[in-house]
Amino acid sequence: MYRYDQFDARLVAERVAQFRGQVERRLSGALTEDEFKPLRLQNGVYLQLHAYMLRIAIPYGQLSPRQLRRLAEIARNYDRGFGHFTTRQNIQFNWVALKDIPEVLEKLAEVEMHAIQTSGNCIRNTTTDHFAGAAQDEVVDPRAWCEIIRQWSTFHPEFAFLPRKFKIAVTAAEHDRAAIRVHDVGLHIRQKDGVTGFEVHVGGGQGRTPHIAALVNPFVPETQILDYLEAIMRVYNRYGRRDNKYKARIKILVSELGEAEYIRQVEEEFAAQRANEKVDLPAEEVARIHAYFEPPALAPKPALSKQLEAAKAADPSFARWTRANLHPHKVAGYTSVTVSLKPLGAAPGDATDTQMLLVADLAEKYGYGDVRVSHAQNLILPHVALDDLPEVYKALGAAGLGAANESRITDMIVCPGLDYCNLANARSIPVALAVQKVFADPAYEEDIGKLHINVSGCINACGHHHVGHIGILGVDKKGEEFYQILLGGRADEKAALGEIVGPGLKAEDVPAAIHRVVEFYRTQRTSPSEKFIDTLERLGHQTFQEALYAAG
Amino acid sequence: MSSVRPKLKPETPKAVTGWATATGRSVWLRADGSWTEEAGLLGVFTGDEAEARLVAALKQEATVTDPYFMEVTADGKIAGRETLRESMRAEPTLSFGGAA
Repeated sequence: MYRYDQFDARLVAERVAQFRGQVERRLSGALTEDEFKPLRLQNGVYLQLHAYMLRIAIPYGQLSPRQLRRLAEIARNYDRGFGHFTTRQNIQFNWVALKDIPEVLEKLAEVEMHAIQTSGNCIRNTTTDHFAGAAQDEVVDPRAWCEIIRQWSTFHPEFAFLPRKFKIAVTAAEHDRAAIRVHDVGLHIRQKDGVTGFEVHVGGGQGRTPHIAALVNPFVPETQILDYLEAIMRVYNRYGRRDNKYKARIKILVSELGEAEYIRQVEEEFAAQRANEKVDLPAEEVARIHAYFEPPALAPKPALSKQLEAAKAADPSFARWTRANLHPHKVAGYTSVTVSLKPLGAAPGDATDTQMLLVADLAEKYGYGDVRVSHAQNLILPHVALDDLPEVYKALGAAGLGAANESRITDMIVCPGLDYCNLANARSIPVALAVQKVFADPAYEEDIGKLHINVSGCINACGHHHVGHIGILGVDKKGEEFYQILLGGRADEKAALGEIVGPGLKAEDVPAAIHRVVEFYRTQRTSPSEKFIDTLERLGHQTFQEALYAAG
Repeated sequence: MSSVRPKLKPETPKAVTGWATATGRSVWLRADGSWTEEAGLLGVFTGDEAEARLVAALKQEATVTDPYFMEVTADGKIAGRETLRESMRAEPTLSFGGAA
C-alpha cells in the first residue's frame, strides 16, 4: 500500500498542530462556534445529535493491520468501544470529546492517517472497488489511480471551497462495485489499443435530487486524466450554484446546462488547459505510484482446496458462508473474504475494538496484511488462501463476525439516522434491524439470493436508498416516523434510481411489507437463479407495489 | 438539525439546550443556571426570563455550544414540532456500545 513520503508526513503533522491550537482557542472561548465550525469541519469534526463525531479518511478503503489496530485503540480509549464504517469507505467515531481530538489526530498521524477533507466543500475520499488488486475482472488495479487523485486533490488550492462537496469513485472492472454512476465523477478505467484510459461520467448523485451520471467522455488517456479532472472541476467551480446549497452539487449544473452544453464547456476548458498549462503525468511517476500497489507474492496453489472442501462437508454453516462471502480471486487457490459487519441485531457497519483487533490479526496471519472497507459497510480480506478459510471463519464466528450474508437481504447499507445524526428525520437502525429479523433464517435468506436493501433516515440519502433494490427512506410526519419504500434502484453498471411506490408506512408495518414483496418475488421468479432485481425489472413496479400494500 | 428551529411564542414553556463545548454531549439548562446532561432535570422558562436565559447561554461559548430554545410542557416534558428529534437527544433508544 502507499506509504507517506516526507511531504505527506509534514502536511499531516502541520495540520494536527494547527488544529490543536484552534481547539485550544475554542475550549477557552476565544473562538466562537461560528468561527470554529468551518475549521473543525476541515478536520472531519461534526457536532451530531449527542456528541462530536470524528470522521477519519481511509483512502480508497485500504487499511494495514497497524492502522486498524490504531483505530481499535481509539475506539477503546476515546470512544465507547466501537467505530462505524461508512459508505465513503471511511470510519466515524461518534463519542470523541473535542478536547481529545488533537491527541487522536496525533495518534492517527503516527500510522499515516488523518481526517483531512472528510468534510466540507472539497474533494472527499476517492472510493473504489473493495476487491481492487484481487478481482478477476479488473483491467488494472484502480488503487494507484485513486492515490494519484488523492495526491492531486489534497489541499488543491483551487478546489478548497467548491460550491458543495465533491465525490469521485473509480472502478476498473466491468461489474461496477464502486457505484460510480451515482458519484459527482465516476471513472471507469478501460484499455484501448494498449493504452489505459478513463471513461468519464459526471453529475451523478443521490440526496434530494438524485441523478445518474452522464457519460461525458468515453476515453481520456491516463496521461491526461488530471487535466481532464481539472477541466471538470473548473467548470463546476465557476458555474456551480453557490446561492442555494440544495442546488449546488455538480449534478444540478449538468442538469441545468444540459449534457451537451456541459460537455462542450468541459471540452473547451480541457482544450485550453492542454494548450496553456498541460500536465502530462510522467510515466515514471505513474509507475512509482503503481509500485506501492504491487500484489502480494501469492504462492501458486491448486484451484480446489481439499481442506476447504472437507470443512464445507463437515459444517453446513461454514459451507453457507463460503457460498455468500467469498469473491473470486485472480490467483488460483485464493479468494477475497467479506467480513460482514451486518450480524443480526447490531448496528450495520459498526465494529467493536476487539473485532477490529481480530480482523487486523487475521489480515496479518492469513491476509498478507491487507484490509479493505467496502462502500457497503463491510470489511474485506482481499487475499486469503482457500486452505485457510476454515480457520478464518472459526475466528470470525467466535467474534460475532461470521454472518453469511454478503449482498443478501440482511446486508443492508444503513445510515446512522436519527439515533446519531443531526440532519436525520427518522431512525434508520431500528427499522433495519426489524427487517433483518424477518429474514433471520439463513436458509431462507440464501434462497432469496442477492437483494440490496438500503436505508436512509432523511432525504440526504447517506444510506443510498435511491439505489437499493428496495430503498427505505425515513420521514417525520408531525412527530411520527414514517418510511417510504422505493423499488428498482441499483448502483452497479446498470445503475438506476428506485421509485417511491406509494404512501409511507409506519415503522412497525415496514418488515411485513418487505416480507410480502420478497414472497411475491419468490412466487414470480422464473427460477431460483433469477435475482430479485431482474424479476422486478421483468414484471415492472406495479405488480410489486400491489404486493407491498396488500392487506397484511 | 432536521429543520429550521421553530419560533416559539413568549408564553410557550421552553427549555434551553445545546452541547457541552468540551465533550459535545447534549446538555440542558437547569433552573439554577447550571448545565445538566440529564434532560429530566431541565428548567422550564417563559417570557422575558426565557429570553434572558438564552442570551446568557449564548455568551458561554467555552461551556456550551449553539444553545437554543426547545419547546416543553409546563412540567418539563418535550413538546412541539421537534418532539421526535428532541426525544432522541434526551432519551436515546440505542445502547451505543458497551459503555453507554
